Amino acid sequence: MSREHWVVIGNGPAGNAAAVTLRKFVTDARITLIGEENVPEYRCNLLPDFIAGALREEDLFCTPIQRFREMDIKLRLGQKVTDVAFERGELKLAHNEVVRFTGMIIACGSTPSIPERLGMFRDLMLPLKTLGDAKRWIEKLARVDSVFVAGGDLTSLCFTRALLALRKRVMFMLCPDSFWPIPLSSEVRRSCSARLEERGVEVLDCAKIENLTRLSEDSVEVKTDAGSLVVGAVGAFFGLVPNVRFLARTGLDLERGILVDEYLRTCVENVYAAGDCAQVYHPGIRAYWVSIGCPNATEQGRIAAMNLMGGSLSLDVPQENIFEVDGIKVNTSWWMEL
Amino acid sequence: MKTPGKVLADKVRAIGEAKIFEVRSESLPTWCPGCGYFGIHQGLNACIKELGMPLHKVVTVSGIGCAGRYPFFTRTYGLHTVHGRTLPVATGVKMANPDLTVFAVGGDGDGLAIGGGHLPHVARRNVNINYLLFDNSIYGLTKGQPSPSSPLGMTSKASPYGTLDKPLNATLMALTYGASFVARLFAGDPKGITNALVEGARHPGFSIFHIYTSCVTFDKSFKTWEHLKEWVHPLPKDHDPTDLRQAFDQVLQDDFSVGVIYKRG
Amino acid sequence: MPGVDVTVEVCGMAGDGTIAAGGMINDAMSHGGFSVLGFDSYPAEIRGFGRCVTRSRVGDREIRALDEETHVLISLNDEESKSRVPVLTRDCVVLFDSNPPVLVEEDRSLVAILDPETRLFPMPFGDLAAAAAGTQRGRNLVALGGFAAVCGADPELFREAIRSKFKAKSQSVLQANLKSFDAGYAYALEKFHDRLLTMFASADLPKGPEKVMLSGNMAIGKAALDAGLKLYFGYPITPATPIMEYLARELPKRGGAVVQMEDEISSIGAVLGASYAGKRAMTATSGPGFALMTELITHGVMAEIPAVILNAQRGGPSTGLPTKTEQSDLHAAVFGGPGDSYRIVIAPTNVTECYYYTVKSFQLAEKYQTPVIVLTDFYLDNRVENVPMPEAREEDVRDGNIYPNVSAGEPYKRYLRTESGISPRSIPGQAGLQFTATGLEHTERGKPDYSARNHMEMSAKRFRKIQGALADLPEPEEYAPDGPLSVGVIGWGSTFGSALEAVLAARERGLRVGALKITSLYPYHEAAIRKFTSRCEEVLIPELNYSGQLISLIGRLCRKEAIPLNLATGEPFPPSLIRKKIEELAEAGAQ
Repeated sequence: MSREHWVVIGNGPAGNAAAVTLRKFVTDARITLIGEENVPEYRCNLLPDFIAGALREEDLFCTPIQRFREMDIKLRLGQKVTDVAFERGELKLAHNEVVRFTGMIIACGSTPSIPERLGMFRDLMLPLKTLGDAKRWIEKLARVDSVFVAGGDLTSLCFTRALLALRKRVMFMLCPDSFWPIPLSSEVRRSCSARLEERGVEVLDCAKIENLTRLSEDSVEVKTDAGSLVVGAVGAFFGLVPNVRFLARTGLDLERGILVDEYLRTCVENVYAAGDCAQVYHPGIRAYWVSIGCPNATEQGRIAAMNLMGGSLSLDVPQENIFEVDGIKVNTSWWMEL
Repeated sequence: MKTPGKVLADKVRAIGEAKIFEVRSESLPTWCPGCGYFGIHQGLNACIKELGMPLHKVVTVSGIGCAGRYPFFTRTYGLHTVHGRTLPVATGVKMANPDLTVFAVGGDGDGLAIGGGHLPHVARRNVNINYLLFDNSIYGLTKGQPSPSSPLGMTSKASPYGTLDKPLNATLMALTYGASFVARLFAGDPKGITNALVEGARHPGFSIFHIYTSCVTFDKSFKTWEHLKEWVHPLPKDHDPTDLRQAFDQVLQDDFSVGVIYKRG
Repeated sequence: MPGVDVTVEVCGMAGDGTIAAGGMINDAMSHGGFSVLGFDSYPAEIRGFGRCVTRSRVGDREIRALDEETHVLISLNDEESKSRVPVLTRDCVVLFDSNPPVLVEEDRSLVAILDPETRLFPMPFGDLAAAAAGTQRGRNLVALGGFAAVCGADPELFREAIRSKFKAKSQSVLQANLKSFDAGYAYALEKFHDRLLTMFASADLPKGPEKVMLSGNMAIGKAALDAGLKLYFGYPITPATPIMEYLARELPKRGGAVVQMEDEISSIGAVLGASYAGKRAMTATSGPGFALMTELITHGVMAEIPAVILNAQRGGPSTGLPTKTEQSDLHAAVFGGPGDSYRIVIAPTNVTECYYYTVKSFQLAEKYQTPVIVLTDFYLDNRVENVPMPEAREEDVRDGNIYPNVSAGEPYKRYLRTESGISPRSIPGQAGLQFTATGLEHTERGKPDYSARNHMEMSAKRFRKIQGALADLPEPEEYAPDGPLSVGVIGWGSTFGSALEAVLAARERGLRVGALKITSLYPYHEAAIRKFTSRCEEVLIPELNYSGQLISLIGRLCRKEAIPLNLATGEPFPPSLIRKKIEELAEAGAQ
């Protein structure tokens, strides 16, 4: 009789918490953790500090790989799930490998979103989500002196701090919908802008980007509704979207992310979702909400694992508060770590 | 009927007449008095003399057995090698120096038993060596065991109830393997041996001389001198040695005709 | 800065172009100025199935051995590549096909069993080949392109290697292959731009004479030609057959001949006949064929006839493991055959020595009038090293025979008992010097003689003659600092390279250890061996055989019992195993 096989898709805080928790409950089942990036789990919230030179690359990583061997969790890095056939209990990896599973926790996280109308300028904008992105920024910042930060989500604020530490000139554009589903009230925007200006950031009084033109490898002309300017690089910080396109035709209920109940169950038995990719239904507010930040993800990963093993823990919704940085508060624990 | 001693005396006289002392070495042959090998020795020595080749340009290669002692009794270069390997060794000698005339000598055990696997290949290669197969249908040096050419039912210490295997026919084998010069001879006729040897030595290819001879010490029943003298006779006068089919027919129906049986141009 | 020392494997199934790819890596890296040692494994069966693996170790310093670690794997067939996983380093670079034609189950997948530290570089080999050249056949070249980009090797070196490999083919084939390579190179450069490595960037490549990739077998073949070989008699047997095939092409061009005999017995027989008649002749075989030759070899010993026999050892006993390497014929080579039949046995340790010792063997055989056995092994015969093209020295090639100086009238004594034991020998054709060579015990004149005193004296003569060859045979070489050593390692054949590498690695860690290379296995230089072993606290003798054959031959020359390290795996001796044993012994000794 073959062993049960529990698969976790996603090597971020949710996925890692899920895998480790699963192993606490089962000793003889196989557990596989699949991650798309070629590196083990790292703290993406520390990427701005890495870019600023305050941290070395090795300081970003969370758990030595040897730990996974000790826990008998099979870590598959640099491998991408491209399709899942839930009814057969099979998933397909990009290199045409088929893996059978008994149950699954999807924690594939989110990716930086680019507004649709700016899609054609995708190549001229650099986001910051992964270690790869961070390394590209380090390379770029070695050559340029000015950066246009577009969007203004949580990451952008930390990134701006790094840019200031590197003595770069920062032009900042706050978009109102960078924090979906939390709308930025005009009051918050104002105080945010004030704080940034105090630090030496040029907050632009514009609403949207109209055009981007590459003048040379390290020079871009940005045309907004308020005028044009030339900068060394443009950063895309329009928020994150759940990374669930590969699940589009698998039968899972999807909206912006994977729809799950308060126990993190998807519409398929033995399949759970956790972290940035999950849209959790809260019976109290009768709506779906998306969490952001590592501790939330970690908590969800843990709960999904326990529930997959037969538990029935439900998730508390974090409060809908505003963040704080340099005087501005938001109740997402990501910022609490600062 | 001639006694063995008389036969020997005849031979000695013939040797003297042939004036071929210089070919013989100072070692006296170790063969038994009356052994057919004396006749072959005489025949080959006369051949060497007739061909006029200097002794230092002749190499005699031998294997193991009474026939193996052959090279010690001539003043040519000699190579007394291991049992059954006369033919490949002789091949190496000839290929190394084609100016040498190479005689390979061996008995029926050396040539048909342990050495049997080399005969087809030296024939295929048509190496220009001259192979004398001394066939007395017995293993003399080891004291009387049957050989591959011993008749069915032959008794000996090794076959007290008689042999069970049919004998091989060396001449037939030589023809089958495609040897380009095949002669069957009788040790009691050194002159006939010399004639055939001269012709075969001049033949530019592999020449095999299947020579019937008698082991006076251990074979008292089959190939005795009496029997051989009775059985052996020349080939028919109209035998055409260039006709392979005729050669086969001849050998298949007649075990004891002697002469040059086949010769390919 | 750390040097370059990379072991690259290409693994695929028969038909994937694995061997060709490995060969191009060897050529490219050799032209790039690196030292290269390559060794391929072929399927044992003739049919189209079976795994092919090429291993190439590339470095900026002299490479002497292959170890058990592979740093880069190019997988042309993932199913076959699974067998290589045990030798991959944890952070091995693996290039594999990202779009294989069929789905693979997890339990048959290569990627599924790799460690998470493995650096994966998936590329659609077949698709890129088809797009670039219209056919999937150039998959292996696409993979090479990927390898060059990912690992930081100069692509022009590979293009040169492709041009020279396919220069005999049509322009369209050559262009298609170059396009496939370029497609792989461009794809990898772009796709993996943030993960590219610089494994081959090294400023300190030693300048030196132009090098060629040469296998042990080819070195032996060339050596025979350069030494004036006239006749080769042989019978096909793995792994010696390529020598015969090489000479079959080359020897007739120089007025010689190769004759494929009906078996090994006739082969050695013809060699002895030819040598007796004064021409240089040789045969090459492996264990089972060598066994057949034994009787005639001892005939050569007794009759004092030269012969050169190459025994390319393979797994035994009996038919054994025809395509695996081993060093288990030492006893057969030194002692095989009836009686006290001492003959010369030499064992080269690398490709260059294969050349020089084969050249020398003809002269030694002639001078000492004896069969000379050159012992190699499958690994040494089939591996390629890039070496300066070897050229024979005139003094090693000239006639070694000692001819008689007898005045006419005096009877010539072919087996004259001299002080050296060497009796001047005549060659058929020389007038007045006729004799009969025989395998029977004989007098000085060559007449069979079994008397007590004669046998004693002739045995002594033959023995001292062979012992006298010590003066002309390569002496053991020490690779050690002066003074006492905690561990001394004695290696022979292809194992020596592994032993030396282990010793050097141990020395870098501060251990007082040394190595001794023995190439003359019989007779062996007792004094020189004792000189080394007397300053070793422990003597370690690693060998690729189960029973320890060298150790039983020379173990008595050690102060205390030598320590064996025997492997009968059919694979080359990994230096890391020897190094671990050295460390273990050194540590035990320190306590």
